[in-house]
Amino acid sequence: MSTAASLHQRRKRKNAVMMALCVVAAGIGLAWLALILGALLYKGLSGVSLSVFAEMTPPPGDAGGLLNAIYGSIVMTIIGIIVGTPIGVLAGTYMAEYGRFSRLTTVVRFINDILLSAPSIIVGLFVYELMVRPMGHFSAIAGAVALSILVIPVVVRTTEDMLNLVPNALREAGTAIGAPRWVVIRSVAYRAALSGIVTGILLAIARISGETAPLLFTALNNQFWSSNLNAPMASLPVTIFQFALSPYEEWQQLAWTGALIITLTVLGLSIFARSLTGRREDR
Amino acid sequence: MKPMLSTDLNVAETVVEKAKIEVKNLNFYYGQSKALKDINLSLPERSVTAFIGPSGCGKSTLLRVLNRIYELYPKQSAEGQVLLDGKNILDRSQDLNLLRTKIGMVFQKPTPFPMSIYENIAFGVRLYEKISKAEMDSRVESALKRAALWNEVKDKLNASGQSLSGGQQQRLCIARTVAVKPEVILLDEPASALDPLSTAKIEELIDELQADYTIVIVTHNMQQAARVSRQTAFMYLGELVEFDRTEKIFTSPREKRTQDYITGRFG
Repeated sequence: MSTAASLHQRRKRKNAVMMALCVVAAGIGLAWLALILGALLYKGLSGVSLSVFAEMTPPPGDAGGLLNAIYGSIVMTIIGIIVGTPIGVLAGTYMAEYGRFSRLTTVVRFINDILLSAPSIIVGLFVYELMVRPMGHFSAIAGAVALSILVIPVVVRTTEDMLNLVPNALREAGTAIGAPRWVVIRSVAYRAALSGIVTGILLAIARISGETAPLLFTALNNQFWSSNLNAPMASLPVTIFQFALSPYEEWQQLAWTGALIITLTVLGLSIFARSLTGRREDR
Repeated sequence: MKPMLSTDLNVAETVVEKAKIEVKNLNFYYGQSKALKDINLSLPERSVTAFIGPSGCGKSTLLRVLNRIYELYPKQSAEGQVLLDGKNILDRSQDLNLLRTKIGMVFQKPTPFPMSIYENIAFGVRLYEKISKAEMDSRVESALKRAALWNEVKDKLNASGQSLSGGQQQRLCIARTVAVKPEVILLDEPASALDPLSTAKIEELIDELQADYTIVIVTHNMQQAARVSRQTAFMYLGELVEFDRTEKIFTSPREKRTQDYITGRFG
């Protein structure tokens, strides 16, 4: 009896120690996030004004805004998503549906996982060689292609995972009613996995909207307004990079503000993606 | 044509019955391992046949051969003959989607599609028929009535099929299967995930449906087989041990293994 009681006491002590360690670790992890967000809000919020969204990036020493950078980021992100999403979704569909039992799928999954964690600067260099050098100049379209290459592995992965979560019984049921395979995929599997696939695309948007390295080698930057896809284009991350490293106070302030805009956008997208998945789990 | 494993008792009765499906020398493989061994049986038209036997005996496998749903998985293969109205459906030239419109299937776990109740039924109909909205409405209504679900869902046809209770979902699946006007309905343990009340409803339904459809039901519940079926096949370790009229199987089986199983000595 007393042995049992002392064992119980010991177990309780161990539990308390473990729990304390876990809480401290979680606290440290969260603290950095809170500090980053706090610093961004503190330094960035003071710079937020209408002119940030209405004026172009200024020359050193002048006041201005981030309009051309915001516009460039949006344009290149949208093109990157439009190019990358169909490829990613179709590849993921092949892996989860048509090629579920094929060796090719295993190989593609392995390579895709490598691509998923490949440093984005390498993607930038790749597109530099592929497009910028042959074309002879930097361009927005090269930037968008670099971003789309980053989109593909994210979307492939989530599409495959989400389709794999669709119970096989549902596919069998669709097949058993006489539906051809592509109808089963389109009307049953996609529908069942929709919120998950959309979440993957949103996460891909979140990922590429903060990418700097692939754009440095492709879209470069542009001090002025440009909507020409065949010319260098400004983007928020590259502008932040350039302005934050500059000695000019106005530029530094704009960099903080830009960083805040990106962070809040990514945060918003992530929360939206979360709410989509959450709704699916509730059902 | 030899309709069943004929015994002196039922010869006269079975001869008049037309066989809807005849299985001849059927072998089935999961990869290398043989799951069905030389199965021969004949399923009479417009009547309920039950497959019983312990887990892993091959009863579900046999059912899944009848609409070739096993073809979804590359390592599974069947050899032999399965004749539907005299035509071998295992033939390579058999169109699988058309086959499955003739032979419907309901699964163990209810599988409503991720769409509305109405769409769950219209989905299958729309695959092979172009009909007007009004015709579709009445088609959906009659299928739901047929599955004894109409009164419970008529006011919420646009609600998600997945919002229904388990028993209702299963009847929705039956309605969906009936709506495409099949000739044969395969039921793979349709009530094993349901409560007793829902089970009773499903069994009642099966009893009504046999007037129009040839029904094959796999069940591990022997009372259920005794209640709903006219013929029963007892399977064991991939073999068809005995196939006869249900009351014969449950009262005076010829095989000792059948006797042992139905009296609960194994399985």
